[in-house]
Amino acid sequence: MKLLQRSLRYNIVITVISLTVAGILMYYLLKKEIIAEMREQLEYQVEEIHQSLKNGHSVSYPLVEVEKVSDGIAPYTIFRDTLIYDPLQAKSEDYYYLLSVGKNSAGNYKIRVMTTYIGWNEYSSTIFTMLFLTAAILTLLNVAGSYFFNKRIWSPFFYNLDRLKNFSVSSDEPISLQSSTVVEFKELQRSLQDLADRSQKEYKALREFTENASHEMQTPLGIIQSKLDRMSQVEVSEELADHIVQAKSGVERLRKLNKSLLLLAKLDNNAYPDKTEISLDIQLRKQLEWLEELLSGKKVTAVVNIEPVKVYANLFLTEVILSNLLSNAIRYTAPGNTIHVFLSGSMFEISNPGAPLDFPENFLFQRFGKSSQNIQATGLGLSIVYQICQLNNWKISYAYREGHHTFSVMLSMDF
Amino acid sequence: MSVSVVRINHLTVVMNVLIIEDEELLQEEIRSYLTERGFNCEVAATFEKAKGKISQPDYDIVVLDITLPGGSGIELLKMMKRQKSDTGIIIVSARDSLTDKLSGLDLGADDYITKPFYMEELNARINAILRRRALGINDIIRIDDLQVDTSAKTVFHAKTEIVLTKKEYELLLYFIVNKNRVVSKQSILAHLWGDDYASNESIDTIYVHTMNLRKKLVSHTGIDYIKTVYGMGYKWVQG
Repeated sequence: MKLLQRSLRYNIVITVISLTVAGILMYYLLKKEIIAEMREQLEYQVEEIHQSLKNGHSVSYPLVEVEKVSDGIAPYTIFRDTLIYDPLQAKSEDYYYLLSVGKNSAGNYKIRVMTTYIGWNEYSSTIFTMLFLTAAILTLLNVAGSYFFNKRIWSPFFYNLDRLKNFSVSSDEPISLQSSTVVEFKELQRSLQDLADRSQKEYKALREFTENASHEMQTPLGIIQSKLDRMSQVEVSEELADHIVQAKSGVERLRKLNKSLLLLAKLDNNAYPDKTEISLDIQLRKQLEWLEELLSGKKVTAVVNIEPVKVYANLFLTEVILSNLLSNAIRYTAPGNTIHVFLSGSMFEISNPGAPLDFPENFLFQRFGKSSQNIQATGLGLSIVYQICQLNNWKISYAYREGHHTFSVMLSMDF
Repeated sequence: MSVSVVRINHLTVVMNVLIIEDEELLQEEIRSYLTERGFNCEVAATFEKAKGKISQPDYDIVVLDITLPGGSGIELLKMMKRQKSDTGIIIVSARDSLTDKLSGLDLGADDYITKPFYMEELNARINAILRRRALGINDIIRIDDLQVDTSAKTVFHAKTEIVLTKKEYELLLYFIVNKNRVVSKQSILAHLWGDDYASNESIDTIYVHTMNLRKKLVSHTGIDYIKTVYGMGYKWVQG
């Protein structure tokens, strides 16, 4: 629920509760006031009757009963409610009476005087109507206020929220938030600005670190490699030649490993944000053409079923996905076998025949989750593919069916 | 030492190369190999020294490292382009980043090679730039009776064409520009297909391709130029 709606709801609930309490209080206070007034009036009436009796007048008023009682009865005063049937209106009405026994010079009298609760119903209904109207007006004003005033107050907040949603640490563009006159919003804006600037700075530092690490490692590797190459130019014994070749293959693996690790680090840092429209079919054909003689050298055939498909992705990363999946398929296909490549609609599939995996399937896309069969592989190729797929919102899955390993990529068609 | 030369249009030209690289051992290795190939090499290890050298634009090729003490190689690239020199520029960088690659090529560099690289690969790329620079000129490499036409990408022996596949042709050219040097199978694989396809099995296919090329050349010329060097790779031997 939106904050505005929620605060509005609380406002309405509070209004209703406070007005109800006020109404109940008003009702009882007014009633108490009115009863006190009525008692005063009835007592005055009794006093008047005693005066008349003292002066020897006979008393005969409607709703007044006077009775002479023996002197032995002690004086008392009782107020009570009663119902009296009104034959004219044919209904019972609320009455309030005073029954008292008191002495005057003419004797001891028992007097009962009555009055109706005239107007009380009108009072209570007026109270109710007034409170109801107040509640309605307050609610209306609250709703209108939240739409007109709150919208204005909250507008920098919503603007900043929008900026934040579209904010990317990898972008060089500063977040530039809108300021507000509200202290809390101003504080929030300052903290967010600070946070965003700091993350951008740290991201940049991380990126620089990655690049520096790359530089620091690649150059010594280059030296080792070129020196080993130099050593291979000299005529040496077979034994030494073997040592050199082994050292070279170690450097080669280290080189590829370093390259893959750097690529993964960059993917983690989203270092490839620039996307373009790519004809996946053309890219795929390019790679297959490039590989034609590698395939024929290995006596592996590729059965290709490709339809034009456009995707929105980073070109370099797309090339990486295609070459990693293709090289993976070629690597694990025995000579004389066939690789299938399929591309149509939003589905891209590569499958190759081979023995089942000798490790759990869920290790496949994990870093260094490699098979013991091929020590030349870095164990990073498929996790790179997985990560690029995630970056593009593509779904990659693996299945082993009828002696074939199949990698399927569900492409995202969002542009 | 026999000085090899790049033949362009039957003229023998000695090419001047400036190597801008701060890592001493690597610089020495590049200088030594390119000198062996017949290039006239000069070196610069810092930004300032390189700046002084590129102000006289008489280099045919500049091998340019991006990260230098005292400044960025990209700045040097911009300076060279401002001078409107027709020097071929090849960027050598440890930064395997696409943006660097693109900005380098956008700014007018001719090629980009990532460290660590094979010397043979650098040499092959330099030769490719020189051939591209000589656009329009009949570009033929002659080895005895063998003629490699690098613009038409054809190979003739006497008047007969030796029909090669695309990769066999690339392999032949790689051997020729790196003649008299042991070229490893890994370096050949990286040259023909890039790093991504390196595996034991792929390296075996290098053997297949090299043997096919060898057979074709022997059957036409009667000379076996390609020698196997035990464990190390192959060597194009030419007197």
